[in-house]
Amino acid sequence: MRIDHLTELYERFKAKLEGVSGECYRVGTASEAGELICNVMLEKGIKNVALLKAPIFDKGNITYQIQSAGIKVYTDHFREVTPTADAGITKVNYAIAESGTLVQADADANVNQRLCSTLVPIHIALVSTSALITTLKETMAKLHQLPQIPGFVGFITGPSRTSDIERVLTIGVHGPKQLVVVFVDEQVEDVI
Amino acid sequence: MADKQFKKKISEALDNDVLRGALGRFGDAYTISRAKAYEGYDFKSISDNIAEVKSYAASHLEEMIDQFEQSATARGAKVFRASTGEDAKQYILDLAQRRDVKKIVKSKSMVSEEILLNKTLISAGISVQETDLGEWIVQLAGQHPSHMVLPAIHLTKEEVAHIFSGHLHKLNQPVIAELVKTAREELRKSFLEADMGISGANMAIAETGTLIMLTNEGNGRLTSTLPPVHVFLVGIEKLVPKFEDATHILQALPKSATGQQITSYVSMVTGPTPAYYSDGTVKDKEFHIILMDNGRRKMYHDEKFKKTFQCIRCASCLNVCPAFQLVGGHVYGHIYTGGIGTILTNFLNSEKDAQNPQNLCLQCGKCSEVCPGKLDIPQMILEIRNRMGEKEGLPFTQKFALDVVSNRRLFHSLLRVASIAQKPFTKGQPVIRHLPMFLSGLTEKKSLPAVAKVPFRDVFKTIKQDVKNPKGKIALYAGCLIDFVYPKIGEGVIVALNEKGYEVVFPEGQSCCGAPATYMGDRNNARKCAIMNIEALEAEKVDYVVSACPTCTHALKVSFKELLQDDPGLAARAEELSGKSKDFSKLLSDLGGLTPGGDGVPLKVTYHDSCHLKRSMGVYAEPRKILTDTSGVQLIEMKESDRCCGFAGSYSIKFPELSGPILERKLNNIEETGADAVVVDCPGCLMQISGGLDKRNPGIRVIHTAELLLEKRKKLKNKTK
Repeated sequence: MRIDHLTELYERFKAKLEGVSGECYRVGTASEAGELICNVMLEKGIKNVALLKAPIFDKGNITYQIQSAGIKVYTDHFREVTPTADAGITKVNYAIAESGTLVQADADANVNQRLCSTLVPIHIALVSTSALITTLKETMAKLHQLPQIPGFVGFITGPSRTSDIERVLTIGVHGPKQLVVVFVDEQVEDVI
Repeated sequence: MADKQFKKKISEALDNDVLRGALGRFGDAYTISRAKAYEGYDFKSISDNIAEVKSYAASHLEEMIDQFEQSATARGAKVFRASTGEDAKQYILDLAQRRDVKKIVKSKSMVSEEILLNKTLISAGISVQETDLGEWIVQLAGQHPSHMVLPAIHLTKEEVAHIFSGHLHKLNQPVIAELVKTAREELRKSFLEADMGISGANMAIAETGTLIMLTNEGNGRLTSTLPPVHVFLVGIEKLVPKFEDATHILQALPKSATGQQITSYVSMVTGPTPAYYSDGTVKDKEFHIILMDNGRRKMYHDEKFKKTFQCIRCASCLNVCPAFQLVGGHVYGHIYTGGIGTILTNFLNSEKDAQNPQNLCLQCGKCSEVCPGKLDIPQMILEIRNRMGEKEGLPFTQKFALDVVSNRRLFHSLLRVASIAQKPFTKGQPVIRHLPMFLSGLTEKKSLPAVAKVPFRDVFKTIKQDVKNPKGKIALYAGCLIDFVYPKIGEGVIVALNEKGYEVVFPEGQSCCGAPATYMGDRNNARKCAIMNIEALEAEKVDYVVSACPTCTHALKVSFKELLQDDPGLAARAEELSGKSKDFSKLLSDLGGLTPGGDGVPLKVTYHDSCHLKRSMGVYAEPRKILTDTSGVQLIEMKESDRCCGFAGSYSIKFPELSGPILERKLNNIEETGADAVVVDCPGCLMQISGGLDKRNPGIRVIHTAELLLEKRKKLKNKTK
C-alpha cells in the first residue's frame, strides 16, 4: 500500500518535473544510484563534478564509482571549484509531488549545498523516495514542525529559466541549465 | 483631465509597433497559461484565503511589525524600520560605507526602484548591478521597468542586442539564447565579486521572521548565498501572519503572475546563514532587514484603500487590462504601472503623479475578476478620481455639461433641441458619421447615433398595455440613451413584461442616473441625480424597477446607496430602490422567462457581455437563455465576449485613440463568428459597437435583447391576440 502510494507520488512528481524540462529517475539502492549517475554524467560529457558529502554517497560507494568512471570528484573547496565545475551532486531533503519540486532544508543552512546546486551548469540531486510529500501545503506544515525553520529553505522546480526577452522561454540563466533528479528507494539514515 | 504631454506619451506608445506587438502577444498567451496553471485548483478559495490572512495582517499591522522584528532579531537579523525612502537609502549607504563595500548585486526589488536606491549608491561611488535579466537590461538602457513582473517587456531582442553591444564593448547578435548566455557570463562575475547583496521579498512572515522570494532565474538564490553582507529591502505590505499562511500566496503568485505552477526557485531566508568571506573562512553573514513605510501606512489607514494591503504584486491586473495592453507601463509615468500602479503612485509618489494615469481606467472591472487578493481596483481608482474632482474641480466644459445633466428640465429641453439641430450632420441617416473640426476625433473610427425624433417619454404615452388583472406594477427607468436615442428598447421591455402579466409605468420626473458624473469624479452632481431619481421613481409604490441599461441599473442598485449613506431618510429610500431594481434580462428571467417561441426565421447572433451586467451583477446566463429560447435564433459565442467594447461612458470621448483599438478588437471577434447580428444588453455598448460596425461592416446589426424579442415575437403576439 505504502509502496503503491509512493509510486503514485513519484509518477506525479516525474510528470511535473518533465513538464518544466527536468530529468527524473528512480532506483532501488544507493549503489544503483551511483551507477545511474555515472551513466548520466558520461552521456553528458561531464569531466569533473562537485559532490557534497552525505551518508547515501558512502552507502552506495558513489564517490568511488564516479572516480572509476574517469570523472574527477571535488569534495571540498567549493567556493573555488563550483564556478567552473561541470556539474554538482547533492542530496536534498524532500520532494513535492504536486509541483515536481525539490526542497533543500538542511538544519545548518550549509552554504555548500547551495553552491553545488546553483553555480554549476548541471545539478544532480538525490532524494529518498520516502521523502516525497503530496502537496505544497503539507510541505509548509512539515517545515513548520521542524525544531526551527532552517536558515535557508530552497525550493527548486526544474532548471533556471527566463522569459524576460520578448517573452521567449529560455532555459539556464543564473542557475543550472539542467536538473537531474534521482529517487532512491533504499533508506539511508541522514545525520543532521 | 489628461494633459497634453500625457496624450503625447499615449500616442507615442500607440505608434510603437514593437511594444504593442509584445504586449498583445503576451496578453493573449497569458490568459491561456493562467487558466491552465489554475486547472484543478479552486481560485476562489485560494483568493479567499489570501484576502483573509492579508486583511488580518493589515488590521494588526503594528503588531505584525513588532512580531516580525522580534522573531527575526531572535534569529540574528538586524531589523530597521524606515519611515521614508530617504531613511532606507541612508541606512544602506551608511552600512555599505562602514563595511567598505565596493560592489553590490541586487536581485529584484521594486521597492528599491520606488526609492531610486541605485542612484544614491552609484553617486557614492559604489557599483550596483541589477541581476534579474529584465531589470539588468532596463538598467543598462537607463530606463525604468515597464511591468512589475516583466520589466523589459517593451524591448525587442534587437534592441537588447544593441544595448548589450553598446555597454559590453562586444557585438551581440539578436539571438535570445545568446543574449541570455551573455547575461549569465557577465553577471556571474558580479555575483562572485560582490561584497553586498540587496534583495526584495515577496513575503515577510511575522511569526518566524522569514523572508520569502520567488525567482525563475536563480538570482535570488545567488544573492542570498554569495555576498557576506545581505540586505533585504521590504515594504511593510509584504507581512503575512503565520508561516503556513505563505502557502496561499505561493499557490497563487506564480499562477497569476506568469501562468506557472510554481517558479523555478522559492527561497526562504530566516536570519543570517553561513557565507564565504574573502579570506576563505565560512561564517554567518551580516544580515539586515529594512521594513519600509514610505507612504504605505497612510494608504492602509484609509478605509477606502486598506485593501491594497491584500495585493501580492502578481500584476495580473495589468495583464488583462485593455488599456495597459495598448500603451504599456511607461505611459503611467512612475515605477508602479497599470491600475494598481496608479493607486500606489497616488500614495507612494504623489496625488499629482496619479492624476493623468487614473484617467486610463475604463472601469471595466476585468482586473478585479482575476485579482488573487480580491482588490476592487476600479472602485479605488474612482475614489481617487472623486477626491481629485472635489479638490481641484473639473475643467469648465465638463463641469458645465454635468451641471446641465443634473438639471432635468434644462437637459431634456436641450436634447429635444438637438434632435432638430443635428439634421445637417445626419444627412437623413440615423447616425452621425462626421462631426465638424474639433469634434472630429469622436467620429474618426465610429459614427455617433442621432438623437431620436420622439423621445421614449413621449412614445410611452402612445403604447397600449392591455394587461388583464395585472400581477403587479413595474416602474420603467429608461436612462438617457433609451429615452432619447433608442426608444425602441423601451417598447421591447414593456411588451415583454406585459406578456408576463405586469403593468409598466413610466415616472415622468426621472432623469440621468448620474453615471457620467460618478465616473468623471463629480460626486456633487451624481448626488443630485440620485435624489432626483429616488424621488421620481417612488420605488415604494411598485413591485420592481426595471432598467435596460446595466450602467443605470448599477447606479440604481449600488451608487445611489453609496452617495446618500450620510442622509438616513434618503438612504432608506435608496435601499428600497436598490432592492427592487433589476436589469431587464435578469428581471425577465426571475419572473420565469417568456414561453419559448418566435418567428422561426433563422438569425445567427453573437452576444456581447456588458462590463456592468456581467461583472457588477453577475448576469450572463440569463440573456443567453432568452436568446436560445427564441425560435430561429442561433447563438454563436464570440471570443472574449466579456471584454470591454471600449465605450466606458466618457472614456470614448476622452481617449478616442484608445477606445478605437479596443473597439476594433471587439469588432474582429464579432466578425469572426459570422453572425448576422450582435445582441447586447447595454445601450452604451450598442452605441459603441454599432458606431464601429456602421463604418466597417454595416451588414452586421447590433440590437438590444429587448428589441430583439420585440422583433422576433411580433408575429407570435399577433397570433395569440
